[in-house]
Amino acid sequence: MTHDHHGHGHDGHHPEAPSDVEARVLALESLLIEKGLLKSSDVDEVISAFEHDIGPMIGAKVVARAWVDPAYRERLLRSGSEAVRELGFDYPASTQLVVLENKPGVHNAIVCTLCSCYPWPVLGLPPVWYKSAPYRSRMVSEPRAVLEEFGLRLPAGVAVNVWDSSSDLRYMVLPERPEGAEGWTEEQLAAIVTRDCMIGVAQPKVTENAAAR
Amino acid sequence: MGGMQGFGSVRPETDEPVFHARWEGKVRAMAQRSFGRYFHLDEFRHAIERIPADEYLRASYYEKWLIATQTLLLEKGVITEAELAAGHALHLAPNPAVARPAPPPLHARFKSGDRVVTKVIHPKGHTRLPRYVRGRHGVVRTVNGPFLLPDANAHGKPPDWQACYAVEFGARDLWGPDAQAGDRVCVDLWESYLDPEEER
Amino acid sequence: MKKIDRQVADTHGLPRKNGELVFQAPWQGRAFGLAVVLNEKGAYPWDEFRAGLVEEIAKGEPEYYESWLNALESLLLDRALVTRDEVERRAAEYKSLERDPVF
Repeated sequence: MTHDHHGHGHDGHHPEAPSDVEARVLALESLLIEKGLLKSSDVDEVISAFEHDIGPMIGAKVVARAWVDPAYRERLLRSGSEAVRELGFDYPASTQLVVLENKPGVHNAIVCTLCSCYPWPVLGLPPVWYKSAPYRSRMVSEPRAVLEEFGLRLPAGVAVNVWDSSSDLRYMVLPERPEGAEGWTEEQLAAIVTRDCMIGVAQPKVTENAAAR
Repeated sequence: MGGMQGFGSVRPETDEPVFHARWEGKVRAMAQRSFGRYFHLDEFRHAIERIPADEYLRASYYEKWLIATQTLLLEKGVITEAELAAGHALHLAPNPAVARPAPPPLHARFKSGDRVVTKVIHPKGHTRLPRYVRGRHGVVRTVNGPFLLPDANAHGKPPDWQACYAVEFGARDLWGPDAQAGDRVCVDLWESYLDPEEER
Repeated sequence: MKKIDRQVADTHGLPRKNGELVFQAPWQGRAFGLAVVLNEKGAYPWDEFRAGLVEEIAKGEPEYYESWLNALESLLLDRALVTRDEVERRAAEYKSLERDPVF
């Protein structure tokens, strides 16, 4: 890899020549800025919104907040849509969000047997398996077998409550905070809350990587 | 679909793409643009239910959307058979005239803790009382709504706003002794699907 | 809080992990952002961009965001928002490090 010295003074830190695609993108962005058609910060905002603000990260942030703030947790369980809006996220008025609380002895999971109702605004687009015939038919009749296929085995002392969503309500599971996550920041906590945890086919895991962050 | 037999394992794909093929995205876009303009979500669901059984089982998720969208747009006169055959528009589509009224105040017959029995109905039209909970005893967990009753809404009848309840059923009551004691299934049910327990 | 355009979020094939968008390199994020910002500012309807994207993907380029970039460039050229000449010259300046290639 050659480093020619056309780069401007970086005190010994020489930039690498960009690849062709990188150069094309740089060219487009810089030209469009010069023409006054957009600002760099506009692009930053969009990237940030789509990378972080859509999809299950919204649900994960809601869960993390509920874990650290008991008063927020109460509001979330009372009115899911309002509590989501409280954190600054958009929850449309057309459906209501109901949050289901996992507790010791109670594990919740969601399904829509009649179609594929899903809490899009907090979890993003539903996965193919959620919309599939096997999940929709078996989750109400043999949830423990389905959960085992996802790698989740629950002891007999834990009751499984499956919620069949079929109206203008959408459900989301509030998983239990796992052991080993004491003293974590909300960001660290949100990072271990996956989409599958909020559907109810998985539980948040404290891994070495997550703990090290 | 709840409780139907003969389906295999659930098989999640890791990091699956949102659409598996280009046409799926187009179908979704077409359907979404039609909701609220040419037909309601409930009419759409009913159109999917009307797909003949063997076609329904064979069709993929987005194939069902395509069939439903096409069926409804034909029935509403937005497109014609001739245009489908020709592959392009032959005349202008009619003006959409679909508006949802605001919900009235909630008047709920049941409250949390009430014991109820679901009706035994096998309507020809669209209904959202799943087969596996017809004629079953349950307990009201929560009261929600009012929401538009989809059966009426699906056939262009006047709007019927009703309370909607999350009703809890014991898994063993639904599925027999093989189910785990203490497990439950909670189903969202409209008021007209329910009777108080003492009446039956 | 920035409002998400659902049309954009539903665009076919956007690489995702656990439902969220994935950019494997910063240039992909920039290319994505440029296309969206220009649409938001009214330079073109999203459908037009998406149609071009579908065409590009059909050409068989395996890298999703390469197709995205091709579609964006074509659209900007078609609408005369940039000229081919100036894009090529500018890109060459970045490649030769005459301009500082910082994202």
